[in-house]
Amino acid sequence: MILRYTFMRLLMLIPVSFSISVVIFMIVYLLPGDPIDNLLRVGSSAEDRAELVARYGLDRNLIVQYFVWIGNMFRGEFGEAIVLRRPVADLVAQNLPYSLTLGGLAFLFSSTVGMALGTISAVVRHPVLDRFMRGFILLGSTVPGFWLALLLILFFSVNLGWFPVSGAGGWTSLVLPVLTIGFGGVALVARVTRVALLDAQREDFVTLLHAKGLSSGTILLRHLMPHALLPVVTILALRIGWILGGAVTVEFVFGRPGLGSLLIRALGQRDYPVVQACLLMLALAVMLGTLIGDVAQASMDPRIREKKT
Amino acid sequence: MRYSTKTQLLTGSAIVAAGLLFSTHATAQDVSVAFSASELGATAYNPVAASTLNTATSLIFDRLVEQDADQSFHPHLASSWEETSDGMSWTFSLLDGVTFHDGTPFNAEAVQFWIASYAGTENEYLVEAIGSVDVIDELTVRFNMDRPEPNLLYNLASAFMGIPSPTAFAELGDDFGVTAAIGTGPYELQSFEIGLETVLVRNEDYTWGSDLSENTNAGHIETFTFREIPDQSTAFLELRTGGIDLLLGVPTDFLKILEAEANIQIIQMPGVGISYMPINVTAPPFDNILVRQATGMAIDQDGIVAAIYNGVGAPARNFLISSLPEANVDPSLNVMYDPARAGELLDQAGWVMGTDGVRVMGDERLSVSLFTANTTELTRLTQVVQAQLAEIGMEAIITVFDSSTIRDEYRNNAHQLAVRSYDWNNSDILDWFFSGNRLGYPNVSMWEDAEGQRLNDVAMTESATSAERIANFTAYHEYVLSQHLFVPIYQPTQNIAFNSDAITVPDPVRGARFRGQSFVDIKVVE
Repeated sequence: MILRYTFMRLLMLIPVSFSISVVIFMIVYLLPGDPIDNLLRVGSSAEDRAELVARYGLDRNLIVQYFVWIGNMFRGEFGEAIVLRRPVADLVAQNLPYSLTLGGLAFLFSSTVGMALGTISAVVRHPVLDRFMRGFILLGSTVPGFWLALLLILFFSVNLGWFPVSGAGGWTSLVLPVLTIGFGGVALVARVTRVALLDAQREDFVTLLHAKGLSSGTILLRHLMPHALLPVVTILALRIGWILGGAVTVEFVFGRPGLGSLLIRALGQRDYPVVQACLLMLALAVMLGTLIGDVAQASMDPRIREKKT
Repeated sequence: MRYSTKTQLLTGSAIVAAGLLFSTHATAQDVSVAFSASELGATAYNPVAASTLNTATSLIFDRLVEQDADQSFHPHLASSWEETSDGMSWTFSLLDGVTFHDGTPFNAEAVQFWIASYAGTENEYLVEAIGSVDVIDELTVRFNMDRPEPNLLYNLASAFMGIPSPTAFAELGDDFGVTAAIGTGPYELQSFEIGLETVLVRNEDYTWGSDLSENTNAGHIETFTFREIPDQSTAFLELRTGGIDLLLGVPTDFLKILEAEANIQIIQMPGVGISYMPINVTAPPFDNILVRQATGMAIDQDGIVAAIYNGVGAPARNFLISSLPEANVDPSLNVMYDPARAGELLDQAGWVMGTDGVRVMGDERLSVSLFTANTTELTRLTQVVQAQLAEIGMEAIITVFDSSTIRDEYRNNAHQLAVRSYDWNNSDILDWFFSGNRLGYPNVSMWEDAEGQRLNDVAMTESATSAERIANFTAYHEYVLSQHLFVPIYQPTQNIAFNSDAITVPDPVRGARFRGQSFVDIKVVE
């Protein structure tokens, strides 16, 4: 059953991927400006320019360019960066590990801390703690990452000197970026966990369990949690893509290499192949995240896989 | 008991940690450098084929000649040179005993191979005028020219003309500059991670520094770590906290904050470009030369230097930085602030002062668009320019674009005025920005003129010697000025900041830019 569901879900990815590829391709080309300007230096002539445009195939019909691009993608060829002058696959391969480490740790941090905080606030239900939690959640979901990043640097690196300001050398340089990206996630996960737990507590079976004399701890961990985790897993799966995308500005502020830094630089120079590859990676992450979330949800909740297949 | 053991342990480890920290600091032979924002993102240390190169390139590779801040040329790997009077042949004598990092000798054959390797690259224009290279003997080469190239020495001093080891260059192919980069420079490439950092170690055999360095032998510092920090605020905080020791390219806005720090010292060098306001001569009302002239007189360059830049840098009066000989034009052609005269000129052009402080001609108001790119420095300058234009009754409406989009706007002829800047310490920049062959961008002024093109061609292709070239470019420059195609505003300085508790940096800095020749003079503070 779950296999069939997964298969159907995978089939649905085909039209989605197609639309994404068109959007990614078009967005980049419809932007004003072009990469050739960033290659020309003082002294080059109009003919030099035309020659470069032709060399990178930018003078061809947009539809032809699209099919050439998508054809290369299927063969796993990302092409050569126009301004950066390296195979795009190399650039992505160099930067991806940094983004994955950062994203993975931020994901771990936001899921564990978020679930713990959400559970505590749902169980303790103390008015002061409640208010504190609500304030924290509000801050977490509204404070922009780049600003939080600068504040964290100011406090932890400049005033206290605990962590390096920027760079990617050693685990200490990971702490602040992970906190910055994870902060928003913690708030979100805590909120969802809290609401889901509170909802589940109101169910009749919980009263029955209490009546049967089970301890509160057992009820929470063995009976409430599986129910409450369902929406949390969905939210977490959606965050997989979000965390990679959210790292874009944070990588920039902390001077870390990664897909985000690469994307920002390539966008500024209109380096089309690099921008396309980075966007494609981010889109893939979102698609995979959603897929994992859906499958996890379906395996946990029979109602979903019944309904959708 | 348990408590006290813990305390002892903690204290003990704290002392050990402090000791370690102290000892590494005292013997630190590793200096961290952050690139300036404009040179981030280089993907290869390959002078021949790269489209962008950063400062570290100049430590790995030496050049035949070096250029000083006064734009004069100094011998480096070429100990002397001779040019025939018709400019058709140049003979270079090479330094003896120079070796590449891979142990192979630097000689006339290496130069021959290197010049030939530019064929087919985008940097080919640097050596385009060289027809062939003859090896006269082990240490003498002759360049036989296809046409005179008085700009040859300037090209040879460029970062794009660092000399790679022929053996390594041929062996590594496309990987040259990525996996390894072999030159004759004072530092060798140890590791290079694109977009992150470059580590260089001292070349112990180095004895052939140029006379721009105090120390002509191996550098004082063992290792330089060059880091890429895209965000300016982050780079500043790194310098403050000791994460980096040297910051290349500090924006003028940051100078005041940095000066307040006790351990940070700043060096200011003459800049290599200007900020200016091109005027689109095809867009009314600027098709009238009187309006263009009046616009120029509205800008108070001295006021801008004092107000925005705290007196750092110099006002720009014409299109070239003042250290270039071609900047010495007829003084009456320099653009000077004169709002009263600007008012007269506008009256003469038919634009009379309206009731709301904006000039009018019939029903039409003197309202123009003013474009700029989205960097803090340019947008601030543009706001002041807007205020100064208002003084002569010209309303300027600012639109801010990102640097790629704005070029498209120029090409679509959508602009009237724009505030921008360039970095280039050679008079051929006039050809780049004013040649009729490049309308829109880079010829933002959209200027096409038969006499202008003639003077341009003469300056670019018919100068045999350096003196002739200077005369021809001065004439072209003067003609450009007489047409009021732009308003010169400001000549920025190049600012370098360093942690004076950690290192000392030569001051004044020799050379047109802060690069290899100054890095070998950097010392650790004992």
